[in-house]
Amino acid sequence: MTEEKWKLKKRSTGISGLDQLTHGGLPSSQASLIVGHTGAGKTVLTLQILANAISEGYGGVFVSFEESPNQVRRNVDSFRWGQALNQSKAWFTIDARLPVGAEGVGTFDIDALLAGIQARVDQLDQPWIVIDGIDQLLQHQPDHTLALDQIRQINEHCEEYGWTLLLSGKAESDSVSPRHLQGVEYMLSTTLMLTTTTIDRRLHRYLRVAKYRGSGHEPDQVPLVIDDDGIQLPYEIVDQNAPASASKERVSCGNERLDKLLDGGPYRGSSTLISGRPGTAKSTLSASFAEAAAKRGERVLYVSFDEVEAPFVRNLTSVGVKLQPHIDAHRVRFHALSAHTKLIAEHVFFLQQQIREFEPQLLIIDPVSALLKADGGESARSAVARILDHARSLGVTTILTALTADGDIEDESTSSDVSTIADTWIVLDYNVRGGERNRSLSIVKSRGTAHSNQERELVLSSSGIDLADVYEYGTDVLMGTARLQKEMVERAQARSLRLEHQNRLHELERRLEQARNESERLSNELRLESALFDESKQVHRDYTDSIRAQRDPASQGKEGDQGE
Amino acid sequence: MNSTSETSEKPIPKLILFVTGNAPRSRRARRNLDSALQSCGLESIEPLEIDLLQSPEHTVTYSVFATPALLRNDGQSLEVLYGDLSNERKLSDFLDSLQVD
Repeated sequence: MTEEKWKLKKRSTGISGLDQLTHGGLPSSQASLIVGHTGAGKTVLTLQILANAISEGYGGVFVSFEESPNQVRRNVDSFRWGQALNQSKAWFTIDARLPVGAEGVGTFDIDALLAGIQARVDQLDQPWIVIDGIDQLLQHQPDHTLALDQIRQINEHCEEYGWTLLLSGKAESDSVSPRHLQGVEYMLSTTLMLTTTTIDRRLHRYLRVAKYRGSGHEPDQVPLVIDDDGIQLPYEIVDQNAPASASKERVSCGNERLDKLLDGGPYRGSSTLISGRPGTAKSTLSASFAEAAAKRGERVLYVSFDEVEAPFVRNLTSVGVKLQPHIDAHRVRFHALSAHTKLIAEHVFFLQQQIREFEPQLLIIDPVSALLKADGGESARSAVARILDHARSLGVTTILTALTADGDIEDESTSSDVSTIADTWIVLDYNVRGGERNRSLSIVKSRGTAHSNQERELVLSSSGIDLADVYEYGTDVLMGTARLQKEMVERAQARSLRLEHQNRLHELERRLEQARNESERLSNELRLESALFDESKQVHRDYTDSIRAQRDPASQGKEGDQGE
Repeated sequence: MNSTSETSEKPIPKLILFVTGNAPRSRRARRNLDSALQSCGLESIEPLEIDLLQSPEHTVTYSVFATPALLRNDGQSLEVLYGDLSNERKLSDFLDSLQVD
């Protein structure tokens, strides 16, 4: 056997989530078993794989042991890809249902089935082949061992003729064997298990790769959603080994003071949780983030589980947050959802779909704690983690709000555990003192940021959100009226100091002026004294000379002669 | 027993035995059918035999995917027995409604 012959080759199913779980698709030239509960989506899965293959230019053969060809085509037609598939001539349906009243009399062969399929395959290019409901035929095989041998015969035929085949059958309870075909899973290398369960009267579907011999795969059971696009696996795996890009860019919150507390704002692509009791302005702060992003020209996806768009946007204008112009400019897309209308997995899928379509730079989920109310077998924490992983992988900054109950403002950490996942955690609360209730904000954590740990008063006004200055009083921070009183006292004290200072300046200037005047007076007195002294000296000299002249007139002449 | 690749446009014979080559179960079915026809006094009916390996298009035409299979046309309806026809009682009951022309 050559290497080409035995080596495992895979074919993409065209369903990205399934290709991820199977690390590239289902085995080529082999039969894969799809076992599932009634209504779990086995037939849809196989038809969708056919539709994807045909859209890629390949062929398809659908052998039905359960539904008529018309039923199959009606089923196909209910999906977006259905019309193209129904119009395509690259696939055939084979009605292999046993005739009504047909009765088994002894053991039988399935060579005719293989021959009938081969006749169609010969007309097509590398078709996918589906045998839907093989258990409907083989349940009539009196010999169970023979039925298993015939599954093996089908698989060997696939290997010999290069068929890529999907074999579906109904599961009993949680068995990975179709009914009447216990042990068949050992015959085939790949088994997909589709299950359903009802929680709170709602149907939940799951898919699990129960077996994939010779290939790595994800063995976890994942939620499966069927919508107009067919089968969706919302919990797609984010490649944790992909090169991580840690942006150093800070994203403004829309408030200078909060930005300053966060060293410029959260990192782009990071996640921020805003938790708090009802009415603590979580949504307003989130909307402020949204407005700031939209003003930068970024796209914002705002998903609200609490609010309806029009009144929410209207109410925000009263606190200076204006989203409507950005909604009109298609920079902000608002979705009002109800937690109860969808399963958790459906919510996750919807969000992923919106992120793919709208490509936002900022995602806001308000409140993410609403997901706790959504039905689902999987945990809300897991759902949120997947949303954040998805957003982070695309570099989308995420703001999540979470409602906390009275009593413990940090009880969020015990419910959805988002606080442990989020990079930044802002807690909003009320501060009740002196008969009034004031909003406060504190930053519990912010990874990679030297942030303030001080509680601050959050002030809402018509000009928007702001953080008040911190006034400490003992171990407390003053808020509301107490803060205003403190501010007034501080302003009065400052004024008093200013006046006192001015008075002192005036006094000193007066005294300086006084000193200057005295200095001038004394200078004048000094000059006068000097002049008087000089004058009296001259008078005395003149007097002395006149006396000398009177006493000795000759001396005057001698002196005069001598002088000449 | 006739062996042919009849199309569905021709009148459907009273009995058609679908086989796949000379597989053991197909051989057993031939034998069991011959015996049953004799024991029911229907030797005059000569079933048409269709080898689906030779004429695979007939799998879809007659919607027969398990072989051997015996199709009965009693003029009112088409009935099918599939398997190697090893249950004599069931086979006998199945042939009972056929009338000899």
